[in-house]
Amino acid sequence: MSALELQSLLPLIILALGATGVLMLGAWYPSKNWILGGVFITLLAAFSAGLIDPAVPEVANLYSAGSYARFFVVLWSILGALTLLLSLRYTEIHDLPGSEYTALVLFAICGMGLLSSATSLIGLFLGLEAFTLVFYILIAFKRDDSYSAEAGLKYLVMGAVATGFLAFGISLIYAASGSFHLPEAFAGLQQAGGMRALGLAGWALMLVAIGFKVSLVPFHLWTPDVYQGAPAPVSGLLATGSKGAVFASLVPLFTALGPLKADLEVILWALAALSMLAGTFAALPQRNLKRMLAYSSVVHMGYLMIGLLVGGPEAHRALLFYVIAYVIATLGAFGVLTSFSRVDDEPQEYGDFRGLGYLHPRRSSVLSACLLSLAGIPPLVGFFAKFGIITAALKGGYPGLAVIAILAALASLYYYLSPIVVLFMQQRDARELRRGGGYEFIVLALCFAAILLFGIYPTPLLEVLTGILP
Amino acid sequence: MNLSALTGFPLLSLVLWLPFFGTLLCLVFRHSALACRWLALLTTLTVLILMVWLFVGLPAESGWLLKEDYAWIPSFGIRYSLALDGISLLMVSLTALLQVAAVLISWKQKQHPALFYALVLILETGIIGVFLATDLILFYIFWELMLIPMLFLIGVWGHGNRVYAALKFFFFTLAGSLCLLLSIISLYLIHGEQTGVYSFAFETLMQTQLSSGVEMLLYIGFLLAFVVKVPLFPFHTWLPDAHTEAPAAGSVDLAGLLLKTGIYGLIRFAFPLFPSAAQQSLPFLAVLALIGIFYAAWIAYAQTDIKRVIAYSSVAHMGFVILGLAAWNQLAWEGALLLMVNHGVTTGGLFILIAMLQDRTGSRDLRVLGGMWKSLPYFSAFFLLFCLASLGLPGLSNFAGEILVLLGTFSRWPLFAAFAAAGVVFSAAYMLRVVQGVLWGPLGQMCKIGDDDCLHEDLDRREWLLLIPLAMLVIWLGIYPAPVLEPMSGPISLLLQSGGLP
Repeated sequence: MSALELQSLLPLIILALGATGVLMLGAWYPSKNWILGGVFITLLAAFSAGLIDPAVPEVANLYSAGSYARFFVVLWSILGALTLLLSLRYTEIHDLPGSEYTALVLFAICGMGLLSSATSLIGLFLGLEAFTLVFYILIAFKRDDSYSAEAGLKYLVMGAVATGFLAFGISLIYAASGSFHLPEAFAGLQQAGGMRALGLAGWALMLVAIGFKVSLVPFHLWTPDVYQGAPAPVSGLLATGSKGAVFASLVPLFTALGPLKADLEVILWALAALSMLAGTFAALPQRNLKRMLAYSSVVHMGYLMIGLLVGGPEAHRALLFYVIAYVIATLGAFGVLTSFSRVDDEPQEYGDFRGLGYLHPRRSSVLSACLLSLAGIPPLVGFFAKFGIITAALKGGYPGLAVIAILAALASLYYYLSPIVVLFMQQRDARELRRGGGYEFIVLALCFAAILLFGIYPTPLLEVLTGILP
Repeated sequence: MNLSALTGFPLLSLVLWLPFFGTLLCLVFRHSALACRWLALLTTLTVLILMVWLFVGLPAESGWLLKEDYAWIPSFGIRYSLALDGISLLMVSLTALLQVAAVLISWKQKQHPALFYALVLILETGIIGVFLATDLILFYIFWELMLIPMLFLIGVWGHGNRVYAALKFFFFTLAGSLCLLLSIISLYLIHGEQTGVYSFAFETLMQTQLSSGVEMLLYIGFLLAFVVKVPLFPFHTWLPDAHTEAPAAGSVDLAGLLLKTGIYGLIRFAFPLFPSAAQQSLPFLAVLALIGIFYAAWIAYAQTDIKRVIAYSSVAHMGFVILGLAAWNQLAWEGALLLMVNHGVTTGGLFILIAMLQDRTGSRDLRVLGGMWKSLPYFSAFFLLFCLASLGLPGLSNFAGEILVLLGTFSRWPLFAAFAAAGVVFSAAYMLRVVQGVLWGPLGQMCKIGDDDCLHEDLDRREWLLLIPLAMLVIWLGIYPAPVLEPMSGPISLLLQSGGLP
């Protein structure tokens, strides 16, 4: 690896070395303030990714340093910074070790960055595993909490199975085409005959693995338990970054796929439709906010699959816009959950939120805005996200999916409004304050501002996305 | 001041965003109920004064009187374009008037006043936006923007079964809206494929060539959104619950304004965009409207809650409006739009009076109320006036609209007009039952339960201030509706001839 290549990989190196450094130094000087150090490292990575021009466009035939990859490195770094800020008070009141936590989050962000930059199947595998491994630990980070341990184990078992599928699928594709690199890995599969069947079998296995990672129906069953058991900021990171990064890596993958996509069309259609429908039906009866968000994320993954299925620059732009809208709103929702948590409890059941809207009007408004944005109500950012996806579906010739998407959006209002009704339209039983921390408020204010600003004026974001798409 | 000097000034944006600005101020000063109350009144009054000024100052021409157009989201072909013609001028003026009334009737709001006024003001922005937008996505955004404040107004400050009513209202309208969205996007894509120009501008989309099947499908999408809001029988079931459970300001806005956005959507977008599908649907609409007139009157007669009676009477009145539109001629359309304005004023007034009644007696039940004329004579006089106006007494506002609708309908469907005329008798039946139950008969419940030595005060100054302008308007619109008919006759003839404005 030459110096130029290292320079091109600098943001990710900052994250990885920073994580290692925090881990080492934290062993000698345990302190809660490592989290702020972690925020500094993520911001440094974000700036170096945004401001320093890469010397070479691709590193070791594994990772790209192009504008698409750089955009996502910046995005996940900022997400990491926000997650760490959210965790500051949370780790303190639950007495979680600050330096280990920081290091793990930094490793996870690094993995997400690697995954989004992957230009080869090996790079994809490495990036995916890098953050999945970290999440096994992060999810079970509250060691004395049985829910947390259960969630960790569940994610571990499911994740290990998915990893097996992914590795096997990649090896089959390699066997068929003789290359890991995109787009050569698919070039050999496009003619009929030969090793085409093997390659398609590899693709089927890869789709299973992807389905597990982003929780598409029927591979979604781990999602609600893991969201519920994991610490709230970790659930937030898991729901936003880990899924967003997978989709960010899938866009170049599907672009490289070319005409081969026609063979996968039925499967992708079914995955999208099933995720939207089954996710909706499962979310409707939920009375636990984290579980509801888990099932609703399944629905959102179905929407994103529409973007992948349609393909082409416009659909991909709609998909990425949707990813960003989803990330902002979901992070905000988990952020409010985090800031409502206290030493002894973390509110999840709707009953815990009864009448909280007037006790904590600002945070409750942020939560409501996040939920309404996820539901796609204008003038919040979720509206243009859904609008883009539905337009893409109609334009790409999938009116059936567009109708399912509309119906799912209508039904989603029921489960997104339920917490809002509990917050604002029911009398509270007790006057218990749930004090949050200043850093949490910064994160929530940023999420709220982003939801509103991108909802009212999405043009700049759309232009950036048009610019970075390969 | 001369209006022509202001051509470059974004007057429409000012009217549109002023209430929103008021919302922000209300949230800033949320700890002072007094400040929020005055802020809300000041904002709504400013909008009203601006609209009166425009109403007087703008010429009665048939085209767009004021226009604004800016790029907004070029990648989707969405523009920020507002325009005002005679019809929207009337509707925005009505909005401005009723919002002032809504603020005044909620003057004593004790529960979360800042949030309440903030929502009332943002609702005003939504409604005005619906009446001004000419870009379909901009229209859709304002259309949805009306939902959230109304959801909260009903759900937080409503009576009785308020959450159920709020959610029912929300889901009915949203289901319709999403059909609208699907139709809008389809139309946009079809137009883009035909011409290569991807735009949501209403005037561009009107040029789209559609096969009759597709046209009907897209038209049904538009129609569903609008008739749910109107509401036309059999899509009306959300309305009685929402109107009854809503707080006074919410009922005034719902009946006076939100229902009108449905009619407005029909004549501004659904009919002009899909003219031949619209023509085919007219008899169908007329039949549903007729059924609505009788069905709603029948149900209204059986109610014991006054608010529910008025709610069902709205369904009947909207039936008249739709019938007039379905007749598709100048006379009937003028009548329909006039009736829309009249209904806004009379029903708004009635809901205001019912709020005052409930404030004093703690009840809206016809079975326990009675004998108000003896104890509250001034209040009762106003109540009688608005009830008579609502049932269509000649010389009061609703009569002018109804008679024009009936005349216009008669020239197309004499039989339908004859039936509808009988509907007027029905409305007299249920309205007079309300009058009898509230004003006359033995003295009924006069105090809130548990409040034994309450004062039976007649109208106070604020209430006089609120009722006198509305009452004057009711009489004026009944005797001399020409100033209202004048600005809309030009746009109506354009809509009927060419299916839209240039």
